[in-house]
Order: sequence, then C-alpha cells, then structure tokens
Amino acid sequence: MSDPALSAPDYKALVRDDRIHASLYTDPRIFEDEMEQIFYRGWIFVGHDSEIPRTGDFITRSVGTQPIIMVRGKDGGVAVLVNRCMHRGTMVCAASRGRARTFSCPYHGWTYDLSGELLGVPYPGGYTAFDKSTRGLTRVPRVASHRGFVFASFSERGISLAEHLGAATKLIDRSCDLSPEGRIELSAGWVKHRCAANWKMLPENDSDGYHLGVVHLALFKTVRNAQYQRVVGDERAIKAVVRDWGNGHIEIDWSPGYQRPFEWFGGASGSAVDEYVSAMERRYGAEATQQRIMQGPAHALIFPNLFLGETNIAIVEPLSVEACVHWHTPMFLAGVPQFNRRLLRMAEAGMGPASFLMPEDLTVAARNQVALHARNAEWLELSRGLDREHVDADGRRVSHVTDETTSRGLWKHYRTVMTGG
Amino acid sequence: MVSDAERQAVVEFLYREARLADEARYAEWHALWTDDGEYWVPASADPDADPDTQISHIYDNRARIDTRVKLLQTGHRYSQEPASLMRRLISNIEVEKAADGHFIAESNFILGELSIQAKHEMHWWVGRTIHRLRLADGALRMSRKKVVLINAAEPLPNLSFLI
Repeated sequence: MSDPALSAPDYKALVRDDRIHASLYTDPRIFEDEMEQIFYRGWIFVGHDSEIPRTGDFITRSVGTQPIIMVRGKDGGVAVLVNRCMHRGTMVCAASRGRARTFSCPYHGWTYDLSGELLGVPYPGGYTAFDKSTRGLTRVPRVASHRGFVFASFSERGISLAEHLGAATKLIDRSCDLSPEGRIELSAGWVKHRCAANWKMLPENDSDGYHLGVVHLALFKTVRNAQYQRVVGDERAIKAVVRDWGNGHIEIDWSPGYQRPFEWFGGASGSAVDEYVSAMERRYGAEATQQRIMQGPAHALIFPNLFLGETNIAIVEPLSVEACVHWHTPMFLAGVPQFNRRLLRMAEAGMGPASFLMPEDLTVAARNQVALHARNAEWLELSRGLDREHVDADGRRVSHVTDETTSRGLWKHYRTVMTGG
Repeated sequence: MVSDAERQAVVEFLYREARLADEARYAEWHALWTDDGEYWVPASADPDADPDTQISHIYDNRARIDTRVKLLQTGHRYSQEPASLMRRLISNIEVEKAADGHFIAESNFILGELSIQAKHEMHWWVGRTIHRLRLADGALRMSRKKVVLINAAEPLPNLSFLI
C-alpha cells in the first residue's frame, strides 16, 4: 500500500472488513471528505419537533461544521436555514434558542422572515436591479422527519430519509412507543461535553458492548445491582446482543438479558412508576405495556451521529479531526411528568462531563487520539466475533454483545458513503 | 446579623472545603456534608432554572454524593486517575444568616485544573458558589453547595473531580 500521508485517501484500502487504518482518525483531509460525503450529502439529525413547539421558536446548532437555524415557520412547518447573512456573511442569530418574528443581521441590518426570505435592507437606494428573492438565507434543501426527529440534507438529490433510515425506524419507534402519548419531548436543555478525540470514536464507543466492565469498572464496583452485573458477568452467560441494521445503523440490545420490567429504568418502585404504567395501560392495553416496559428504549446509533442512548438522546458534533462535542438531553415521555423527573436524574448520572459514565469514555477516547498518531502500528483491530455472528430472519447481522459487529456495520457503511455510494 | 467570629468560621470552612477538594482528599471532603446534603451544578445558562425540569451537570442528593465520592475512591474512576492537579482561589465572600440559623455564603472562584489523564491540559473553571452551612455536632457542615459556572451551558471537558 502506498503511504497514506502522501496520496489522496483510498477508503477501500483504509477500511477493511476486519481492520481500519489509524489515519481515519487523524488525517485532516479525511475529516474534510467526511464533511462533504457524510454530513453534506446525507441525512443529519438537526433537532426534535418538541424543541420548537410554537411559530417563531428556533434553535441554533451545527450540521457538520456549518451553523444552522432550525425554526418553526408561520405555516407550522420546520425550516432549516444556514445561519449566515447573504450580505457579508455574518452569523445572523447568536442565541442558542429563543422565539423570533424575524432574523435581523447585526452588521448592516438585513432582515429575513422565518422562512429565510429577505424582507428588507437599510438604504435600498444603493442598489439597482436588486432582486430580494435571490438573497434569502440559504435554506437547507431537504428536511424530513420521523416521529418528530427532524433530519436535514444539504443535497438537493439523493435517497429519501425513509430510505436512509430503512428498518431502523423501528429503533426510533421503540423509544417513542414508551410514551403513553406516543411521542417524546426534548425540553430539558442539552448538556455539551467536550471531547479531545475524532468524532467517530463516540458513535463507535456508544455501540461497543466490550468495554463496559473495563472502562466503567468504578461504577460496577460501586453500584452492585443485578442489572449491571448481568452486563459484565461471565461471557457465556451474557444474553444481550449487538445488531447491524444496515446503512450504518447499529444497536446494542440489552433486553434479552432483562429478567424483570424496568431494568432499563433502574427498578420499578414508586408512584411515578405506578402513574406511568397506568397511563401506558390505558393507551396500549396490559399486554403491549408489559412487552414495552420489559424491553425498554433503544440503545442505537442512527448513522452517522444521532445516538438513541436508552433514556437519553445524544448527538456527536464534529469540530475538527481531533475534537468533537457530545450533546445529550433526557428523552422525556409525553404525558408522564413525574416519571420524567426520574429520567432527568438518570440523564445526569449517565451522560455529561460530571456523570458516572461518560468521563471515563471520553478519557479513553482522548488517549486513543494521542496514541493513534503512532506510525509503526497503523491498524486498529475490528475482527472480534467475526466467526460467531449470524444473519437473522430480518437480514440483520447479530452477535454477542461484546462483538464488534456494530463497529463493522458502521465502517462498512462509511466505506460505501465515502466512496460515493 | 453575622458576628465577626461567625464570619471567620464560615470563611475558614470555605477555604478548608476548597483545599480538600483541590487535594482529592475525598473522605475528608465527604465528611463536610450534612445528612440532607444537596450538591448542585446547573447546566443551563440560567442558574435559576428549575432543576426538576431542566438538566444539570450535577444535582446530587446525599445518596448520590456518596456514590460520587465512592467512585473516586475505587481507584478506577479513570477520568480522575490520577487526580487532576488543582488549586482554586476563593474571593468576594459575602456571608448572611438565614432565618433558620443557616449561614448562606456566596463567593467567586477561579480554579486551575491540570488534567493529566490523557493529554496534559490546563482547564480554567470560573464561577460563583453558594454554600448553605449549619452547625452540626458543634462544627459547620454544608447542607447545600451550588456552583454556577460562567460557562455552564458551553461544551465542558470532564468535570468528575470535586468542583
């Protein structure tokens, strides 16, 4: 193989079925390619419907490294606008969230409506033959949603969101169906956790069932409940599985190891749980409720950077080849406020810079980022479980929870996307 | 009205608490809490946001304070293994006495943290702390510590040490 430092990246050579090349995490050219091929051609999660319930409500965020505004328009629809004035390139909106009637640029006062149309400019006499209709904020051309999860694509053409999600809509549904009203609400605000590592390490780590008993040993030693012990017990006794759903969507399913309802919730006692079960049974009946509270929410990556983190929703924001930000918010279930207060406390324990889990993950990620600059050992192993995974009746690849079936699924799709597929 | 002696005792408590946290003296720091302790670090840009509806970095009741300290004491809390090297300065201290006899101490801090678990990086933490203290068994103990970081809503590096 030619020296990858000299030639343009060859993704077929860098991403093998059983190993990947270290430069995928360290080469700035690859990061730029990823922005184009993954973040600006594909479907990227922007935000949830419930974050902008009323006309004029907006949030600002990034798609790839581009600043955007997601706003609820006068027609009730959601627009995703590039947060850049068409005059001199100023960021139009600096607030992270709020409600607006118009967006007005702080530099020369160009003013846009909620759909991005240019309403007016100060001193218009300085322009001749000025066509306002061609100078609106750039609208991200395609916006689509599933169960309130809003995705955008900078590409005019390409596969639909439904094609991108494929069967993985079932993962989103599994989480949303835990609400007695069938919908989630992201209303608690987001915690942002800075990570000194390439963005891909976090989706990989979120879907890795092999590291738990090592990286999170402190927690397993401190909180000795049965649910945790089943996750890190004897290899042959672990029933949880990993699944590759295709298109880069990958899952850890803990539920085969669950023995009682609400193991995903840390236990089933208290009035909040009673209220929740009653509301669920009124809506779905006893049998469906029982099945849902046994199975719990999804633990899955929606390619490339939306993580359904059981009772949390998380986003990985790429900043540069060496840095990213892990965002999370509790996944509130519409209709059960008492229950949501416990979900909030769970979110604080599980994710974020002061939580009991993620600081260890991000420490390891940062150590990876340092060591991956080594040039004498250039490859990362990806072969775990190759000989014991199987394809199930629905065409999904399944294996033991500690196997790298998930990472292989992610990288296989990555290779397809990065080579223009 | 806070007497000079009371004010002095409160200030000494704040310095001692800061030093124990800086030096990762977990058991001694843990012993400063009352049984109903509440440890709160909001994550919102609005420090008065309701912690029952808005997410926090830390919103620990006493049981969770215990867990937080135990994790650090396992020797396997790798984000603090080895512990960050830290020193914090406390200033602008104002002490009041609440109607229930508690002392409320507000202060500003700046904390230099050398993170040494992966890359060796200096992190600067700046904010305002509100302590609620009361006498228990003849000594001051904290029943509440709220830490309002100026950058609470921004991306933060690991915060698994005692802030």
